[in-house]
Amino acid sequence: MEAASSRHPIWKDHSPSRAPTEAGGLKVSASKLTLQTALLAVCLAAAGRAEATNASDPALHAKIQYCTDCHQPSGQGYLGATPIPRLAGQQSEYFKNQLQAFIDRRRVNFFMFKVAHSLSPEMLTALADHFKDLNPKPLGGAPAELVEAGKKIFAEGVPAANVPSCSTCHGPEAKGNGQFPRLAGQLYPYIIKVLTNWDKERGQGGPEHPDTSAIMKPIAHNLNESQIEAVAAYLSDLE
Amino acid sequence: MKVANSYLALAAAILAIVFSGSGHAGGTSARYLARGSLQAKIQYCSDCHGISGGGYLGYFPIPRLAGQTTEYFENQLRAFVERRREAYAAMPMSKVHGLSPGLQTALAAHFSQLNPAPLGEAPKRLRETGKDIYEQGIPDDNVPACQVCHGSEASGTRGIPRLAGQLYPYTVKELMNWDRERGQGVADTSAVMRPIAHSLTKSQVEAVAAYLSDLE
Repeated sequence: MEAASSRHPIWKDHSPSRAPTEAGGLKVSASKLTLQTALLAVCLAAAGRAEATNASDPALHAKIQYCTDCHQPSGQGYLGATPIPRLAGQQSEYFKNQLQAFIDRRRVNFFMFKVAHSLSPEMLTALADHFKDLNPKPLGGAPAELVEAGKKIFAEGVPAANVPSCSTCHGPEAKGNGQFPRLAGQLYPYIIKVLTNWDKERGQGGPEHPDTSAIMKPIAHNLNESQIEAVAAYLSDLE
Repeated sequence: MKVANSYLALAAAILAIVFSGSGHAGGTSARYLARGSLQAKIQYCSDCHGISGGGYLGYFPIPRLAGQTTEYFENQLRAFVERRREAYAAMPMSKVHGLSPGLQTALAAHFSQLNPAPLGEAPKRLRETGKDIYEQGIPDDNVPACQVCHGSEASGTRGIPRLAGQLYPYTVKELMNWDRERGQGVADTSAVMRPIAHSLTKSQVEAVAAYLSDLE
């Protein structure tokens, strides 16, 4: 908020505006002053609560903008140099778990460690709450011919390979539940990357730091490349 | 008779030489390029953007086109034609509506393959900071890492532009004037950069621009 002078003069300062008081008649100015003082008291009280989760909090607003710079304002995700995942509609428990995993380095990702590290616990909750209610259309773009096979795998698993039905934990519409993430509408190349690289990214805390991601480890291992692509294609189209 | 014959022979020989010269269709001289041909257009672009598309520090900084992704290149030409991108300080760019889609694609393909050394000439002391910002962003200032979209070597991909080797003053101008140039009137692929350009302070912009200007 204070860095307005170092920002480009043309762009709006995002800090809350403080309307200047205007001198009027004595009676009017007295009541105005009372109102001003009351408002100021409320503002200061609000500011005094560190990391308030109030939706109008400028720090939260700035952080949401920061997330959406990459994940997009709708939380839809984006195909950058690396696929940037959809956050819209994500289960808040899973969302917070992942940010915490980045902070604890149980989940390794160069960019997200830096990002997550700057977030307080209250901010994690506020961000999770913001994204869980967003619902843009899926980005799509996966090969259509894979969707049918993917749907079968999602619903039935691959018993011969000891892969359980995904719907059992992720829900029949892949919306997730609690710590099980929503998969519906997730980016096709992102799902492939995550399933293919499970061990390289997740559960990096070692045996002394057990991780909720461990449940997916054998499943990710047992799926072969074409099965992963099929399931990813199916999920990427789900609303 | 003999002398007249030899004069005739000499005249014929000279005429043969002169006319055989004009038979070369792909000559490098502008006079021999067919109007509207691809070669003529490439020469026209190169007049300002540099013979290898490396850009040029004119009165205004004229951007590097070499190595640009074809999708981004074509998007920008279309944006100029449709006036979604203002030709800020770039009067000739407002005249590109003469380019047919086929010519736009051919020009994009041509420039994407060029690779001259960067012009450089940015303040060296800024490069270290610029590299940090480019690779990691500044989480506490809510500045995202550029490389997440533009790639670890700033080579871009698909509709996301290559930034490597771009002219320092050009990059600074673009980031500081995003709203004045891009997304004029209609939602545009450039919208992605708008909030990011807004988050950056001038010194952050200069640092990143300096870093990028040296990348090969």
